[in-house]
Amino acid sequence: MTWQRAASLSSIRDGGAIGGDVGGTPVALYNLGGAIYATHGICTHALALLSEGWVEDGKIECPLHQGRFDIRTGKALCAPLTQDLRTYAVKLEGDDIFVDLDQSGARPADSAADKRPTDACAATAAVIVGAGQAAAAAIRAMRNAGFNGTIDLVGDEPHLPYERPPLSKDMLFGSGDLAACTRLSQADVESLGVRLHLGQQAIAVDPTEKQVTLGNGTGLPYGALLIATGGRARHLAIPGSERAGVLHLRTVEDAAAIEKALAAATHVAVVGGGFIGLELASAAIKRGVAATVLEREPEIMMRLLPAPLGCAFRRLAETHGVDVRRNAEVREITQRGARLGIVTERDTIEVDAVLVGIGLEPHVDLAAAAGCKVLGGIDVDAEGHTSVPGIWAAGDCALHPIANSGRRVRLESWHNAEEQGAAAGRSIAGAAPEGPAKKPWFWTDQFGLNIQMIGSIGPKDIVAREGGADAVAGTIYRTIDRDSGKLTGVVAFSLPEAIRQARTDLQATTPFDLDTSTAVVLADDETESTDASLEAAMNAHPSLALTKRYLWPEEGLTRIPDWVYTDETIYQREIEKIFHGRTWNYVALECEIPNPGDYIRSNVGPTPVVVSRAEDGSINVFENRCAHRAAEFCRELSGNAKEFVCPYHQWSYDLKGSLAGVPFRRGVNGKGGMPADFKNADHGLRKLNVTAHRGVVFASYCNDMESFPDYLGPEVLREFEATFDGRKPVLLGHYRHTLPGNWKLYHENLKDPYHATLLHTFLVTFGLLVAGNRSLMLADPTGRHGVMASAKSDGKAVASDTKKEMRAYREGMTLEEPRFMDFIDEFDSPWSVTMATIWPNLIIQREMNTLGVRHIVPTSPNEFIMKWTMFGFEGDSEEMTRHRLRQGNLMGPAGFLGLEDNEAIKFVQDGMQHVPNGEHLVKLDPEIEAGTAESLISEAAIRAMYKHWRQEMGL
Amino acid sequence: MTRPSPAAVADIRLETLLLQHEITTFNNVYAAALDDQRLMDWAEMFTDDGFYVILSRENFDRDLPVGLIYCENKGMIRDRAFALKETAMFAPRYLRHMVSNLTVGEEAADGTISARANYVVFQVLYDRPDATIHQVGTYHDKFRRVNGTLKLAERRCVYDNLLVANALCLPV
Repeated sequence: MTWQRAASLSSIRDGGAIGGDVGGTPVALYNLGGAIYATHGICTHALALLSEGWVEDGKIECPLHQGRFDIRTGKALCAPLTQDLRTYAVKLEGDDIFVDLDQSGARPADSAADKRPTDACAATAAVIVGAGQAAAAAIRAMRNAGFNGTIDLVGDEPHLPYERPPLSKDMLFGSGDLAACTRLSQADVESLGVRLHLGQQAIAVDPTEKQVTLGNGTGLPYGALLIATGGRARHLAIPGSERAGVLHLRTVEDAAAIEKALAAATHVAVVGGGFIGLELASAAIKRGVAATVLEREPEIMMRLLPAPLGCAFRRLAETHGVDVRRNAEVREITQRGARLGIVTERDTIEVDAVLVGIGLEPHVDLAAAAGCKVLGGIDVDAEGHTSVPGIWAAGDCALHPIANSGRRVRLESWHNAEEQGAAAGRSIAGAAPEGPAKKPWFWTDQFGLNIQMIGSIGPKDIVAREGGADAVAGTIYRTIDRDSGKLTGVVAFSLPEAIRQARTDLQATTPFDLDTSTAVVLADDETESTDASLEAAMNAHPSLALTKRYLWPEEGLTRIPDWVYTDETIYQREIEKIFHGRTWNYVALECEIPNPGDYIRSNVGPTPVVVSRAEDGSINVFENRCAHRAAEFCRELSGNAKEFVCPYHQWSYDLKGSLAGVPFRRGVNGKGGMPADFKNADHGLRKLNVTAHRGVVFASYCNDMESFPDYLGPEVLREFEATFDGRKPVLLGHYRHTLPGNWKLYHENLKDPYHATLLHTFLVTFGLLVAGNRSLMLADPTGRHGVMASAKSDGKAVASDTKKEMRAYREGMTLEEPRFMDFIDEFDSPWSVTMATIWPNLIIQREMNTLGVRHIVPTSPNEFIMKWTMFGFEGDSEEMTRHRLRQGNLMGPAGFLGLEDNEAIKFVQDGMQHVPNGEHLVKLDPEIEAGTAESLISEAAIRAMYKHWRQEMGL
Repeated sequence: MTRPSPAAVADIRLETLLLQHEITTFNNVYAAALDDQRLMDWAEMFTDDGFYVILSRENFDRDLPVGLIYCENKGMIRDRAFALKETAMFAPRYLRHMVSNLTVGEEAADGTISARANYVVFQVLYDRPDATIHQVGTYHDKFRRVNGTLKLAERRCVYDNLLVANALCLPV
């Protein structure tokens, strides 16, 4: 009986399991509510580590085939298990777990104390928190009503209170100025007796002590507190929303930034088709900047206004050249060179700036912490009282009742701030309310029109239009409550007198008489059917619904439809949007073309190119297609040349791909030949953008590509540079093979750590994958690149005793020459194996010491060519080179692992060929929608890739 | 002046013929082992220090050493045979090896015999009617006798079809 230390208690979470090694025996340790149990580490059915299984109800479920054992007794509970699991006695000493392999477990253990966290809960002076327009209105009202106590005004902006409507109007033309917007001038401050605390944040309110605490520690006692904190512009909760060039509008500084952006832009995107969004679009158009408005809903302003009114506003914008896209949810904002990419489900729009107008998030935290009732806004009555005595609220942050309607709303308008602020001010001063609350009133200036709205318009109201056309000066819309038939509001396009009339009409207690008016009721479902009819026109048999084939499954990223891998149209689009799009495509290693005149044939996507080093040492990539008659002129795989001559008509090109000579250009005897205006400079080969990083050469059809490091992103770049670590690569040779599968399946294979131990029995059988190996499946923020990484348990060569242990997993399975699997630690990296998938056509293999780049050349949806270039480094000893070559037995089309991957990918393509409308399931690791995963049992990186792919493809 | 006796001349020619025949027979046995996928038998046809590599004509011509399979001794060759048999996953298939155009070089002082032969490997997958030419190339060989029996001290399989069809699952 020997107690041996197995692990530390703190390393097992409650309800978890870990693997360990006790004197050469693999064990699994479990923590069940604080009690620790130990069993043998390997499932009795198949070779699987139970520590990687699932613990539930005192049972461990094997990760491989879902057999379950009772953890306490080791009993096999279900098929496919036939044999019980050994259990071992466990004792605890401090944080150390000891296991006795000679003693079985099955003893009761003390359960740990059940700790349950307890809920930690926590007039003569007026303080106003929030120095905006409502505050200014309140101060005036207070003084007017005779309040003569102190007034402390706290504001987080450094400015005196100012009104915000000009921010989305004059300010965007550079013609507004802050002084003109100020609602409480310095002179007012003095005459009204206001103590200013600007640039200060109120961080706490104590409603019992009646004191406000500022960020700088100052305490302001109050008899009355008015919270008029407004809010902040709602930000997009999507990747990339923090990029420079994504602008919001709330403060005068925001307006200045947008003004500056418009001055430099040719095209902006406006996210959100609300009033702010439309005013921003209007400003852009007025400044000659193209504007695309992206609205998530089927119609703009749907939550605010009835659909016919949203439609009217949209038509107004469209008439003025704004591209309004509905049902356009922005998924991500990406960097596209110096520009930004707005990624929607359909496509990616390149713009100079993104202006976000998706509403306001009211600042209610302070009020909530003070105990005020908060329901998406601070709940107030008509006089601004909150639910806490002594505290009032007003303006954008307040939720107030609409008279006689039972509805409560939060209004973000100038008029509301003014009215509510004043009402609260009078109430604080102890004055009586000033008559019934006025009807909400709002105006917007856009596309040369002044549009005013009055009343409380509901999104379900009936809309009647007066005037012949939609959204032109003079048009009046009236909204009518569906149930009562009463007028609820009026919208007038450049007709202020209609609003004056409406003030009276809205007082009416009888239903609005539509019959006697000249108005026409607008249909709610008036939507253009152009999309549908276009589709019908393109398809003689609409029942075939051809376009349906390219609909992504409703489940989203957890499904991949087969057409992604098998469809010719999709493949052609990939060439255009991906390989010839905004990507850096691998084309060569510099060590393949060390000298001037050296060249190799290569490909960008399927397109043949030549990579050549010119006399000046520059690397040039151009299409291998004669500018004359398209002949693929360069036929050798590699070589050295002074020029390239197309054999068909002897057109010659220099090493940079420029046209040098055209035979008989001037004809013969004055006859024939090229036109007189023919210039060689106009007829060179198609040249690509080229970059090289650490001896690896990339080309792009896109001329304003971001730098290669930016393209990779810092995390993937780090792994790239861990492999290409500055030593000079030396060419060891190539493998080339075709693969009858879609090219993306190869990326997926290397973004799928799940398959590693399941397909590659070799890895497990011969000890390359050891229990406790650390691993990571990294996806870059765009989702396009990835790195599958794993480390030997000690980061160095596999210890011989560990190998012994792995051998024990399968009796008699030993290699005579296992040294080829040794890892010589030559890299500054925690990983011994990394497989980097560099979008769209490169795999960088660092399988311990065998190094190679794999170049994907798609040839059709159902097949691609893979060109492997294996390398070592300058300074490698002969033995090191041989070690790399020996280790190369793992990879390539005959590699122990490589051949299996190729076969598996072929099987996948085979499986899709004759099954219509099939889908793949990629659901593993649901907690990570798409991105980096620490678990090997994850398909999150595959989902990340398809997120990107769909964005680029507009699918 | 004596002429070489007709018998002596005949002996040299006979020896050449016998050696040629012996190597042809060796190659036939080798091909049969692979056709039958008796990989352990195949491994035993090498000397203990036997070198076996399959490399593309592209690499061979440019003196680049990378091979599809790269074994520096019989241990590695046995490991290849063993691992393919025990762990490798690939679709079942039939292979047929054809070896011809044998040329035998001089026997070196240490008893090493150089030889070359062309080879073709046909592959048949169960679900396709055609036998595809999976490899076509040349064996660059060095033979040695071990206890009187010919063994391969080196076989470099240099293949012409640079683009391997999907995967090379079995040796050539």
